[in-house]
Amino acid sequence: MTKNMNTILQTHGIGKEFSGVRVLNNINFDLRAGEIHALAGENGAGKSTFIKILSGLYSPNGGEIVLQDKSVRFENVGMSEKAGIRTVHQEINLVPFFNVYQNLFVGDELTKTFAGIKYTDDAAMKEKTREILAKLKTDLSPETYIHGLDASHHRIIQIAKVLAQKPSLLIFDEPTTSLGEEEREQLLNIIVSLKQIGMGIIYISHNLDEIMKIADRVTVFRDGNLIDTKDISECTPQSIITMMIGHKKYITYHRKEVPKQEQVLLEASNLVNHKLQNISIKLHRGEILGVAGVVGAGKSELAQALFGIDRTTKGKFYLKGQEFKPGTTFSLNNRIALVPEERQEQGLIPNFSVEKNISLSYLKQFKKGMQIDTKQERKVADAYIQDLSIKATGPEQLIKYLSGGNQQKAILSRWLHGGFEVGLFDEPTKGIDVKAKEDIYLLIGALADQGKGIILFSSYLPELLNVCDRIIVLTNGFFNGEFDPKEDGAEEKIVHAMLTGKV
Amino acid sequence: MLKNKLNFSYKDIIRRYGTVIAAVILLIFFSITAKNFMTSGNMFMLLRQMSVLTIISLGFTFVMAGGGFDMSLGSSVGLVSIVFAIVIIETGSFFLALIAALVVGLLIGVFNGGLVAMIGLPDFIGTFAIGTIVYGLKMLITKGNPIFFDADISPIFLFLGQGYIGPIPFPVIIMILFTLIVSFVLEKTVFGRRVYAIGGNPIAALFAGIKTKRYRFITFIISGLSVALSAVVLASRLGSAQPLAGEDLLLDSISVVFLSTTMFGEGEPTAKGTFVAAFIITMLTNGLTMLNVAYYFQYITKGLVVILAVLISVSLGQKLRVKF
Repeated sequence: MTKNMNTILQTHGIGKEFSGVRVLNNINFDLRAGEIHALAGENGAGKSTFIKILSGLYSPNGGEIVLQDKSVRFENVGMSEKAGIRTVHQEINLVPFFNVYQNLFVGDELTKTFAGIKYTDDAAMKEKTREILAKLKTDLSPETYIHGLDASHHRIIQIAKVLAQKPSLLIFDEPTTSLGEEEREQLLNIIVSLKQIGMGIIYISHNLDEIMKIADRVTVFRDGNLIDTKDISECTPQSIITMMIGHKKYITYHRKEVPKQEQVLLEASNLVNHKLQNISIKLHRGEILGVAGVVGAGKSELAQALFGIDRTTKGKFYLKGQEFKPGTTFSLNNRIALVPEERQEQGLIPNFSVEKNISLSYLKQFKKGMQIDTKQERKVADAYIQDLSIKATGPEQLIKYLSGGNQQKAILSRWLHGGFEVGLFDEPTKGIDVKAKEDIYLLIGALADQGKGIILFSSYLPELLNVCDRIIVLTNGFFNGEFDPKEDGAEEKIVHAMLTGKV
Repeated sequence: MLKNKLNFSYKDIIRRYGTVIAAVILLIFFSITAKNFMTSGNMFMLLRQMSVLTIISLGFTFVMAGGGFDMSLGSSVGLVSIVFAIVIIETGSFFLALIAALVVGLLIGVFNGGLVAMIGLPDFIGTFAIGTIVYGLKMLITKGNPIFFDADISPIFLFLGQGYIGPIPFPVIIMILFTLIVSFVLEKTVFGRRVYAIGGNPIAALFAGIKTKRYRFITFIISGLSVALSAVVLASRLGSAQPLAGEDLLLDSISVVFLSTTMFGEGEPTAKGTFVAAFIITMLTNGLTMLNVAYYFQYITKGLVVILAVLISVSLGQKLRVKF
């Protein structure tokens, strides 16, 4: 690899602040034509903030972007796109009842003029589409309809749609998450072939195997800093992981060593569904079990299967030794709680007050005659607002006006009020501030000490290591090892399992 | 606390009481322009006129509170009246006829709820289709002809729509009782709270352990039963079962439930909101009629009122939850 070989993009000292908090520092990055440049880093390391600056979604606080030797400033996504930067997002938006070429040119149709009237030029669009599809080496025809195609074809059409805009620089954001093994392979080949026709590609992935396989260089982010950029030939998965983790103190909470109790509270064996591949778990009384995995590993699916929202096609469930069939009513009656990952979509009734959100699941406990005893309801809500120091103007404030951390505490109160024995906490600290995070760790620890069993589903390694007694890793729906967070080198081993699919 | 109350912003006042203020302005307007409008006779007539609309809209309020929509209301009134009329004429028994009416209402609710809440058809499509089938059925039975009751028909039945207690028409008493019951169930009971939770965020309600399908299903049953009640009251008031009598009620009740969400700052439809909204809509018809405004202008006005009601409702932060 020679240096300065047609660099198409450079950034000098890019930084970003959100309301005084620095999330990105002094990023000096470069991308060459005809290379795949991977970005690696943990959640919150700054990769996506950086990408959002390149695509015009955020404007940087300081620094310079140089594109094709010209200094540029993007004030919105349109400007970035016009300059030739295109992102292949994780989510795919295609019109299902349009065919391939119609999707490629939707909103941007090619036209011809006849007798003073503009018509869509279908022949030209088909021809163009055929050219692009040929580049992608796919068997799709321009006239294939979208519905009925599988996820990998959707992904290919999404890429084709981006290519139709003639970008000079492509950003892939976790493009393989929803794909199976074979489809993943196919997509990686496509990305390599795009590089071979001279495109500059930035590739974000949680999967280190993919990075090792297709990338030419890798840049590692950690805590908003660019740690290093290296040729892939100088790297091993292990060395990338070491750069990602660094040596630092993440969070102050540390769970004390506790003697393991023998009673098994919750057990599930050989669970299979659309995501889970033969997953078995055992949760003891007084234990905090960590379920680690990246986005799409099957954590939420497992939590929801145990709670009874997601169905399983195979597998058995036992609560204190008794076999049961999961269902939300069973869970409520038998004190199994689920704090869902998506707080806004799955947790809150936004137009309900804090107290109504707290009382929701065990509302029947407030029944007095035919009515809800609103005095009692308020008393209970007041107590939780005090105990968990929920910041609200009062129990009657609408929950949508609270901060994320306080909303989460209200959801926790909902289940605390039910007196749960098994707590399924799915990314309970996602998107909340440091203080609230610590509060929640303390609470989880205290609950376990009271003899409850808790499963912490998380992709955030520091919290898994510091909060859990035992950690199992899920990778793409499969069980991928069990770890003791106290053992030497646990961190590296777990990251390795999470990111590569190999123990 | 007190300070908060004094600090109501202009928007807050409009938000909380805008619709009520509009109603008062309308009331004053009609009192000035239509000379017999503000008389006790007309006011009681207005209350009696609004009773059928209120009863049917209260059922709709349940559906709407649960985040749903019911397009079958109008057609269903006619079918229920006809079945009621046939049974009461054949058997001579008011109670048998009432039960038949309630069963028909219940069945319509079961089909609506089954399609929409259980199978998952979009509310608009599912209930519109059921409404269309119901329309066909009632035309099949009657060929479009009304069924008249004899003068010696059950006196209890006639009292329902035509009777008075003191100066108060009996339908008004039914309406007020029904409003109180619905208000209690929606606002004070576990059931009502859960229905509102589902309307507020169905997925979060499911994750909180609420059986969302079952509750949504029940709201359609309630809607069907209130259709049955209003149909019987209407048949009694008219002294006949008119296959097309309820068709206009659909649009009116859509106006009512949307206006209801704009009232009292709840952002959700409430029983008292529905009551006031039904009063407004009926007053509009009543007042315009007294001003000798031709009926086709009344339709134009009603159409505009629906648009206005929905716009206000949406602008105040109520999202249109019904997916078409």
